Amino acid sequence: MTTTMDRTASAGHSAKSPLIEKLNVFTAFGLGIILAVVFYVLAAKLIPEDTDAMLIHTKHDQIILLAMIGWFIGFMVGIGALIGPFRWLLGKDLSHDENMFYAGKDLGTKRYFRYTTDHKVVGIQYLVTTMIIFGVGGILAMLIRTNLGNPEGGWIHPQAYNAIVGIHGIIMIVGTIIMITGPFGNFVMPIMIGARDMAFPRLNALSFWLIVAAIPPILSSFFLGGIMTGWTAYEPLASESPAGMDGYIMFICIFAISTMVAGANITATVVRMRARGMTWNRTPIFIYGVVASVALALPAFPVFFLSQIMSAFDRAMGTTFYNPAGGGSGWLYENLFWLMGHPEVYVILLPAIGALMEMAPVFTRRPLFSFNVAVMGIAGICGLSALVWAHHMYMSGWAPLLNGPFMLTTELISIPTGMLFLVLVGTLWRGRLWLTVPMASIYALLWNFMIGGITGIYLSDVPADGALHGTMFVTAHFHYTLMGAGLTGAVASLSYWFPKMTGRMLDRRLSWVSFWMVQIGFNVAFIGMFLVGLAGQPRRVESYNAMFNRGNMVTTAGAYVIMTGMLILLFAVVDSWRNGIKASDNPWFAKTLEWSVPTPVPLENFATLPVVTTDAYGYGKAKS
Amino acid sequence: MSQETTHAHHEHPDVVGSRNRLGVILIIVADVAMALSILFVYFYLKGQNVNNMWLPTATEEVPATVPVSSMGAFYIAIISAFGMLLNGYALKGAKAKNQSQLTLGAMIAFAMSVIGLVYQIQQMNSAPFTMRMGAYASCYYLIAGLNALHLALTAFISLGNWNRARLGLYKTDHWHVAIIQVWWIWMTVSAALGAFALSFT
Amino acid sequence: MSQTQTQDKAPWWKRKDVKETATLWVILSVLIGGLAGEVIARSMGAPASETMENTIRMMKIFTWVSAPVAGLVGAIALKSLMQKRHYGDTPPAESDHEIANSPKASAVWIVTSGLLCLFALVFGMIVMQEDAKSLQAPNAIHVNVTGQQWLWNFDYPDNAGVRSHDLYLPVDRPVIFNVSAKDVKHSFWIVQMGVKVDANPGYITQTAVTPNKIGVFDVRCAELCGLLHAYMQSQVHVVSQADYDAWIKSQGGRA
Repeated sequence: MTTTMDRTASAGHSAKSPLIEKLNVFTAFGLGIILAVVFYVLAAKLIPEDTDAMLIHTKHDQIILLAMIGWFIGFMVGIGALIGPFRWLLGKDLSHDENMFYAGKDLGTKRYFRYTTDHKVVGIQYLVTTMIIFGVGGILAMLIRTNLGNPEGGWIHPQAYNAIVGIHGIIMIVGTIIMITGPFGNFVMPIMIGARDMAFPRLNALSFWLIVAAIPPILSSFFLGGIMTGWTAYEPLASESPAGMDGYIMFICIFAISTMVAGANITATVVRMRARGMTWNRTPIFIYGVVASVALALPAFPVFFLSQIMSAFDRAMGTTFYNPAGGGSGWLYENLFWLMGHPEVYVILLPAIGALMEMAPVFTRRPLFSFNVAVMGIAGICGLSALVWAHHMYMSGWAPLLNGPFMLTTELISIPTGMLFLVLVGTLWRGRLWLTVPMASIYALLWNFMIGGITGIYLSDVPADGALHGTMFVTAHFHYTLMGAGLTGAVASLSYWFPKMTGRMLDRRLSWVSFWMVQIGFNVAFIGMFLVGLAGQPRRVESYNAMFNRGNMVTTAGAYVIMTGMLILLFAVVDSWRNGIKASDNPWFAKTLEWSVPTPVPLENFATLPVVTTDAYGYGKAKS
Repeated sequence: MSQETTHAHHEHPDVVGSRNRLGVILIIVADVAMALSILFVYFYLKGQNVNNMWLPTATEEVPATVPVSSMGAFYIAIISAFGMLLNGYALKGAKAKNQSQLTLGAMIAFAMSVIGLVYQIQQMNSAPFTMRMGAYASCYYLIAGLNALHLALTAFISLGNWNRARLGLYKTDHWHVAIIQVWWIWMTVSAALGAFALSFT
Repeated sequence: MSQTQTQDKAPWWKRKDVKETATLWVILSVLIGGLAGEVIARSMGAPASETMENTIRMMKIFTWVSAPVAGLVGAIALKSLMQKRHYGDTPPAESDHEIANSPKASAVWIVTSGLLCLFALVFGMIVMQEDAKSLQAPNAIHVNVTGQQWLWNFDYPDNAGVRSHDLYLPVDRPVIFNVSAKDVKHSFWIVQMGVKVDANPGYITQTAVTPNKIGVFDVRCAELCGLLHAYMQSQVHVVSQADYDAWIKSQGGRA
């Protein structure tokens, strides 16, 4: 992404430069930290001490939460997120030049460090952020696996261990949620539908910078006693956790706002801004995957947001939403959490599968098999996923009579999932396979997602769940779906769209090495985990009976192989980005619109907007 | 797959308007999910009545929690409804190019949102219980808090609307006012939903 | 898949690649069903109750039912991989055929997966009903289970005052557990008997099981409950009725 700069450094070159040109990531961090400190000091001084008569001590949590709110406000003001709304309020809408400045016109690399509205810049920002998030989550995963290398656990204190497990969980969930809709949904999607930018470019920048604002709170929770609840943050355990829990709460609240903003933005873009002639039948399947994902997240994440707001109130204001002593209920939390939690799984999966379905025709040189079935499958998953949340709660005892109905809806979801399998194998059948990393990823997805899916059938069954719920079996199952299927799709997307995003090819040899190491390591690690789960090892334990030792050793060994493979991929990405082979505009000879624009993609993408006359899958010799 | 057409940099206001309208509706969808979850919280905790602490009876230190009448919450909904009607009046003025009707409607709508906000805060301050006193009290403050948050947002939006109407920015197109009308409708509905929930104690 | 696109006029099921795929399908299905079913049964260990026996049997059957699906996907994928591969920087020639759709194949696929779903559901429901029978048993023993950080308390309400940290149960008699928690959520799980229910503060939940083997089995907490969750373990001693009566007496109850 290098562009010629004829007017470098327009920011801050004179005292008269307007406010919007002064704000960037540094002012954001500066103001955020200042306000956090100010809020902290003021809160510590002004809030009355807890009295002994109070059953729940709240002052400490109030101070921490206020400091984090101070950080949040300071950061968003400092990055310039509020300029747009206030200019609207004052009736001084941004001029064309100002909008162009916001879009990063002629700013060179500086535009990556400010509130830039160009969707391609946001896409790159998301890509780098996602990689950082995976890096942090991966380090935590390696700490967990290393600690579990021997039965005694041992060298990590249980409190630190629980914090590591919880933060690994939540940060990876967030990473996987944004890993495709963030980088590729932002960079590729608007070009793919023939649009000049997203529907709401400023909201696009907002959704990205909200994620940046959310990360310091969750990382700070390591220094505030950690969280001891796992990523689910079940109540009432969360209420008795140390102040690290406040970091978790803040993280989720900010992230939920980001998801909502991104969801509204992406959905509106696809619904309203497709090129002329791009009917729903001609819209690429990847677009369906992305829209289904964000449209599912849109109503799901506010529920999560609310559940965390209530957690915060319980901790800091002494309310009793979840505290049984005051009429609260842990089941309430579980319901709210899983009302978000299950759709969220498909929020992660759908874009990954959509991306691989997009690549399947390109690398088999034949049309996508049964486009309509693919759309039906995605829609079916979306619809059903809102009705299955309580299968996470079969064993909670909240409503034994509802176990049957939820078993029904959960098993029904295997029908639309099966449709996606049909589309993929139907496309492979008698195609000419161009063996590239994306092609191999389709095979990896079929393998991993098949295992993840079938183990899901056991778990969806109430009696089997009686044996398996809360064991490592569940952990292995969702790693197979989220990592084996989801992350595989994301890595495939990276190597598929890397030429368009960076102008260079991802190193072929290294990405093959990485592919095989990650896939083999992954299967070794998590099949080992399945076995200890079946044998009865609970989740989230820092020590276990000696009988599980062998399986855990296998898993730990597999995890180190994954880590090596991921580091190789990281090296390949950095190296190829800087000095890889220059890519042509359409290295895969694909037919979707994003390959029709020059690389690097110019600002506003299309000099003249395209008109679409066919779908994007017109491969194959004869025309029927 | 494609052919190229001629340049089309400047979009028609109606195109921009319909896109923005969809965006706002989608954000409202998210807010609806949250408001409905709040109703779920209210009725779930009421139905469970864990340890009989939905409405705690009097102990030596703490008096019993007495639920407040839901009329206060309905008044908020009525104030919102007035705001909605006035914004609709302003919208009609904008469509008819009647500048004074537009400004007047937008101004009083803004006043309504401020009145509603002040009244809601006053209600929260004068409730006969604190939020620590049982599940009902917690839920009451949750619903009231959602109203207050909505009203604060409404105040910001309708202030901008009034200001922009005053400055004559709606002379050529009026989709801003139309979208704000969508928000006012949801504001009214959500206030009414909260009041509805509070009428079950 | 239901149409022939090449010149040969033979019906689709007589084509060479279809036949090979079918063979591959059968082999893979048998392999998957047999191997996975066996691994599952062995890993889960010796069951100590009928509930667990049912569960293991059911998981084996589910494995056999899903094996053909996995086998078919695997067969098609493998066959495609074996046929025409291409490496290099430029794409291969366009594919020979361009079937973009096959309503018949899709319909068969969807109906079949629907039937398999229905089977899994009905089967699961039946087993669920069977497992729930112990809850209604008239001769059942009641045990009140209370989880707290980080140990289990077992009270025997039929013998007021008897409380233990290890669970003692007579063999072949239904037991009903009334489960609750003092502080945070725990999950009461008897590993080898395949029963589990969460212990929630403020609520009492129930589960029931009939142990059918004498021996010592594991109780573990299956819900993260804070610092020492990993160590929240206990044991179930399943003994003969006579030994059980003796134990109750030794704890101060009337047998």
